[in-house]
Amino acid sequence: MNYVGKPVKRLNDSKFITGKSVYIDDLQISSLNAAFVRSPYAHARVKSVDASDALKTKGIVAVFTAKDLNPMTSDGPGPWVTYINQAEWKFVPRKPLTEEARYVGDPVAIVIGIDKYSVRDAVDKVNVDYEELPSAIALEDALKGEALVHKELGTNVGYKKDFSAGNVESAFKSADKVIPVEASNTRLIPSPMEPRGIVSRWEGGSLTVWYSTQIPHFAREEFSKDFGIPSSRIRVIMPDVGGAFGSKAHFVAEDLAVVASSIKLGRTVRWTATRSEELISSNARHNTFKGEVAVKRDGTILGIRGDLTVDLGAYLTYTEGLQPAIIPLMIPGPYKIRDILVRSTAVYTNTPPITMYRGASRPEATFIIERIMSTVADELHMDDLELREKNMVRADEMPYKNPFGLVYDSGDYLSFLREAKEKLKYHETLTWAEAERTKGKRIGVGTAFYLEISGFGPWEYGEIRVDERGDVTVVTGGTPHGQGTDTAIAQVVADELQIDIGRINVVWGDTQVVASGMGSYGSRTISIAGSAAKSASRQVLEKMKYVAAKMLNADVEEVEYSSCEFKYKKEGKSVKWDEVAKAAYSGKDPGLYASVTLEGDVTYPYGLHMAIVEIDDTGIVRVKEYRAYDDIGRVINPALAEAQIHGGAMQGVGQALYEEARINDEGQLAVSYAEYFVPTIMESPHYTSYFTDRPFPSNYATGTKGVGEAALIVGPAAIVRAIENATGKRFNKTPVTPEEVYKSLIK
Amino acid sequence: MVKPGEKVKIKVKVNGVQYEGEVPPRKLLVHFLRDDLGLTGTKVGCDTTTCGACTVILNGKSVKSCTLLAVQADGGEILTIEGLGNGKLHRIQEAFSNNFALQCGFCTPGMIMQTYYLLKEKGSEISEEEIRDGLHGNICRCTGYQNIIKAVEEASKVRS
Repeated sequence: MNYVGKPVKRLNDSKFITGKSVYIDDLQISSLNAAFVRSPYAHARVKSVDASDALKTKGIVAVFTAKDLNPMTSDGPGPWVTYINQAEWKFVPRKPLTEEARYVGDPVAIVIGIDKYSVRDAVDKVNVDYEELPSAIALEDALKGEALVHKELGTNVGYKKDFSAGNVESAFKSADKVIPVEASNTRLIPSPMEPRGIVSRWEGGSLTVWYSTQIPHFAREEFSKDFGIPSSRIRVIMPDVGGAFGSKAHFVAEDLAVVASSIKLGRTVRWTATRSEELISSNARHNTFKGEVAVKRDGTILGIRGDLTVDLGAYLTYTEGLQPAIIPLMIPGPYKIRDILVRSTAVYTNTPPITMYRGASRPEATFIIERIMSTVADELHMDDLELREKNMVRADEMPYKNPFGLVYDSGDYLSFLREAKEKLKYHETLTWAEAERTKGKRIGVGTAFYLEISGFGPWEYGEIRVDERGDVTVVTGGTPHGQGTDTAIAQVVADELQIDIGRINVVWGDTQVVASGMGSYGSRTISIAGSAAKSASRQVLEKMKYVAAKMLNADVEEVEYSSCEFKYKKEGKSVKWDEVAKAAYSGKDPGLYASVTLEGDVTYPYGLHMAIVEIDDTGIVRVKEYRAYDDIGRVINPALAEAQIHGGAMQGVGQALYEEARINDEGQLAVSYAEYFVPTIMESPHYTSYFTDRPFPSNYATGTKGVGEAALIVGPAAIVRAIENATGKRFNKTPVTPEEVYKSLIK
Repeated sequence: MVKPGEKVKIKVKVNGVQYEGEVPPRKLLVHFLRDDLGLTGTKVGCDTTTCGACTVILNGKSVKSCTLLAVQADGGEILTIEGLGNGKLHRIQEAFSNNFALQCGFCTPGMIMQTYYLLKEKGSEISEEEIRDGLHGNICRCTGYQNIIKAVEEASKVRS
């Protein structure tokens, strides 16, 4: 058997293509429905809630407010302490419902009834008396601190830290030139196609929660902490999840309100977000970088200094703390920049909360450093890639410790870049675009390089069970939700055990089935969960050898295994896989299970991506082609890996050109797909994706580095660069709107 | 006239099976299919007729069932993802799987139903432009669409 490296078809497609998939709202569980009364104000104190009319509505069971539910929670979600240093933050833990609304949409009351129609009727009949408070919608206003989002914090600044390395002062003193730089990302909305949802059942002391999440075990821990229920009495089940992109790795207030209501009522309560509710549940990015870069005339970058400002929205979510803390560390990227100062500030505003979104900090960091490299190339009249080559970390410096202490594990950026230029036809495409432009077409070509940090330990769980029929169940702490990593993990296990992949079933996402787990995010699954499963496979195989040895009257060292056969060469005897499995459950010391909790560290994939754009007379930009060349370590399934590049690149196109969460002066977010433009098939470019033939493997047993986020990490920088190439003008933010492009065309 | 709170009798044939039932006049077709008939293959993604996850075939034409009332389907014939292929995989379903044209799968039923309608209209001579034009009302957030285009092209060439 040899599955690794092949485009094996996804093992679990059947239910998705036949409509048998079961997402949270598809669960056929008898339940009450919940809907929320939400604040129409960006900042307002709830003076009183009158639910008497609502309670008269047919089918309504209860209306709860903060007074009813908040006392049930002793704590509420704060930052994800696995990755975020809580001590560096000023924050107020989230509660189920609020008595002081801090963004338009902040849930004030929960209405529970027998069906989704009656609860909507009743929501309209809940009379809330608000006292409007001064609000801070825009980042600049919040920084002034006149209106405080959380009065108890005494400031709108949730986080402030200087990231300083080397000697920036002297770097700037010895510069031939100091170039101002700017890079910002306007607010995005991750927008998985399945809106989030939760079903909570309370059965006298035991809580079962079906939950559209990426992190079921963390959810169990959170509910246990918040409600004071032993985690052994909480079961969190992740059904099929219709996309997440990082946005389903956090707990919204509505989740807590649903769980609290189900406990209070002793009933099963369900909430499925509408699209509008999903749009306010998770916003993303929203940051600015303003600074300057010190350079030598030959293109050597001497130093960078600047201010990074991150909008947090109204509350610190589970994942938002990553942004201001990780962006600075990754700004040096693949370049040898030793003298750097980034002053990082994160600010609360009266807007929907921000969460992580595909790439979580590396897209922001990559956009900043690649904008810097492109700007410097322009100012020094150098070729984009020549400038990058001049500053790149060399292969003989690997593993390389970046100025902030991150250790890049492996890679050869310079030879990779040379290959990439060939593979992506860099010079030919630039020349072709120039020729097209002389013919009057507005064609542009842009490239950007990325170095990303992925894998994100600290550990992951993997278990292998070989049953009495010899069939194999893989239990993983990873939580695939569309990436196809279940198939990739099966490929790794099938090769390790040398069995038919059809005999393998991969299960995940149920805290009562999976002993422990971190989940899927940060392009970590195939590396850390795949390696844990691989390691557990080896252990199971050892046990099978031991059983086989007894069957063959051999010493275990004398038993060799290959292709479903355990051989005792000396005697010319052998037993088959299935026979060993059966014997393992009939004699002494029965059972064939092994579980591994594998520690792991971060790893650093990298690549060069290229975008080709065409601009029409009205300033509308189309990405015609998108080419990618990546070193993601060993590739387990090239079709799955390529699919991640396609999807990430499409989101990159969205971020670069179309997607912008618009919030008006009153703090109202535009809450439908009519106003938030997720790219359709009309905006989809032609993608070409290549992976290097000579990858640098990670330290994981799978040798993989991860690919889930790569294209969204680098895509926006490549696309913005292509627009600059087409127009000859500079653009420093995403999205680049048609208005801005049009203006650049007529000036 | 139907008074507030009154229900309306409807008769529809769904995937070849005749159903009769009473529904509140404001009930959306997608909720009738999902909640009353238990056909949860049809998904709700956006509530505003933008994303196409709820696409079904009504009287031979593709419709977005989140913006039709169940009563509007009265007397009609509906095909949902569950009824495609008569128990076997339809060539479109196979093509989606062959070409890695799905990831999270949430848009997939709607995408497949719209493809079914499109290929019925256009036949095997369909061009990439026509595929894009025909599927632009169905949003996929995962795949970037290229593999979907490949799947539709493959399905268009296989004889049913």
